[in-house]
Amino acid sequence: MNVKQIKLNRQMDAILAREEAGIFAPRSRNRAVSKVLANRLSVFGLIVFTIILVLCVFAPLFTQYEPQKMDLRSILQAPSAQHIFGTDSIGRDLFSRVLYGGRVSIGIGFGSALGATLLGVGLGCYSGYRGGWIDTVLCRFSEMFTFFPQIILVMLLVTMIGQSTSNLVLVFIFTGWCSIYRMMRAKALSLREEEYVQALRVQGISDFKICYKHILPNALGPIMVYITISTAAFMLQEAALSFMGFGVPMTTPTWGNILNVANDLSILKANWWVWLPVGCFITMFVLSINFIGDGLRDSTDPSQQG
Amino acid sequence: MLSYTIRRIMIILAMLFVACFLIYLCLDLMPGDPISYMVDQETLGEMTDVQKEAMRQSLGLNGSVITRFFNWFRGILHGDFGYSLTSGVAINKIIADTLPATIELSIAALLFSSIVGTVLGILSALKKGCVVDNVLTVAGLIGMSIPQFFFGLVALLIFSINLGWLPIGGRMEAGQSAFFQRLPHLVLPAIVLGLFLTAGIMRYARSSMLDAANKDFLRTARSKGIPEWRVNLIHGFRVAMNPVVVLIGLRLPMLIGGSVVIESVFQWPGIGKMFLVAVRGQNYPLVMMIALLMIFATMVSSFLIDLLTAAMDPRVRLE
Repeated sequence: MNVKQIKLNRQMDAILAREEAGIFAPRSRNRAVSKVLANRLSVFGLIVFTIILVLCVFAPLFTQYEPQKMDLRSILQAPSAQHIFGTDSIGRDLFSRVLYGGRVSIGIGFGSALGATLLGVGLGCYSGYRGGWIDTVLCRFSEMFTFFPQIILVMLLVTMIGQSTSNLVLVFIFTGWCSIYRMMRAKALSLREEEYVQALRVQGISDFKICYKHILPNALGPIMVYITISTAAFMLQEAALSFMGFGVPMTTPTWGNILNVANDLSILKANWWVWLPVGCFITMFVLSINFIGDGLRDSTDPSQQG
Repeated sequence: MLSYTIRRIMIILAMLFVACFLIYLCLDLMPGDPISYMVDQETLGEMTDVQKEAMRQSLGLNGSVITRFFNWFRGILHGDFGYSLTSGVAINKIIADTLPATIELSIAALLFSSIVGTVLGILSALKKGCVVDNVLTVAGLIGMSIPQFFFGLVALLIFSINLGWLPIGGRMEAGQSAFFQRLPHLVLPAIVLGLFLTAGIMRYARSSMLDAANKDFLRTARSKGIPEWRVNLIHGFRVAMNPVVVLIGLRLPMLIGGSVVIESVFQWPGIGKMFLVAVRGQNYPLVMMIALLMIFATMVSSFLIDLLTAAMDPRVRLE
């Protein structure tokens, strides 16, 4: 018997022992949830996500500095016990800026993702189920959006309606609903012919109710995955836009706005603490969301098993 | 195949027309006198009010939106894109100056990411569950999570400023225009621009390769005694690559959009950087023309991808 077999036997024995002891009774925990928790990367993601989220939401507890307060006596100081991440070129404490900026960045990312998903799912479910001219028009409309490089469209719209945090969220929602719309539409289109839907129709239940109460829940898995993944995508876009000066106005600290100073080659060379920690914060946060999203997809989508 | 091609071309043309109309509406709603970007600046300075009015009349600018749109559209078809508001240079000339740089960069990024992405993806699929696979999976996710411009800045700092291996930015040194002299300038921007796409292609190639591994025809191939590498790389690869090609097509807009960011990080004198300058300077005619060009580019490339997938997989044509 080789090592592998012995190992396998041992595992089987262990399972048998647990079964006999009666521990293997059906667990009450949701299967999808337990599968996410079994995925090591997702758990790591959840931990990092929670840490950063807590740091940002309860920012006043972790730093006594105001994010906007200038202190011209301490300009561009390297990290020290007083200023954990150092200070920037007008003496603002970077740690507090990162934490308060995180609130705005995460808010924009999550808010836009939620809004885009609501819009896309709402339209997709109805148009897939009803078909007809609404469906055709919306379909062509969403196709138009996929042809447009999103960042170009966002930049155009932002300059047209003016820069502000809420405008940015609106523009993100307006440009980001298409892919979830198409997914939801395809799902509704395929479920429309199912017998249970036919049965509901025969009972005279309104289209509206069939759509949103009986068809929509079938797509909850992919919807959750979409919300996480697009939160990550919107946060990256916000960072890129703010970096170029088209995102949130510079008066509000966001992760992208803090990184904006790295445009200056001398700061890039000499003052690593101004841009490196923020960049790592964005990367870690987006990465943790992507880990969670991957875990969610693996646990809710049967075609992605293995 | 022919009827499929014709149908696709018709759809693309229709959508392009709609895109033109929307762009024109935006342009029309922008503040400012349209004459100011239809004539170059010097002539405009010498014109009297009467002449301007006559010109408006002759250009049909006093007509309804629809007639104005068609006049403008006729100009586009004849290659007359108008003039830049800030420099007064014809937009055709600006585009002709900057487009080659962007095309060079995009093709380099596309080549890099498709080759590296597929190779790593296949490697990851063949070594499923091993250390290599796990490392590559995590690396792929990191590649998708790191902001492109941040990665670009770090790469710039390490390879250009600290190690001094590669030039800091720009497309070429003065006096160097041969392709091989320019190559070092291209390396960093292309890799950074292609990073996101590489990570996406890698993940997709992996799952699609794993999907193909369970198919019956691979078992048949194996049972015929074909060597394992041939089964994977010739028989499996061909089928697995089909969805990957579709993915590359879907992600092309991202590549074009990403070039705006990357070109500004690396001071690459391309159309993306020009776009940024134009948006900052509220140079609307130039902005709209570049946007139109980018839509056109994505539409044409997605059309080519459609044709490619239809040629590779006969089932697509019947849809």
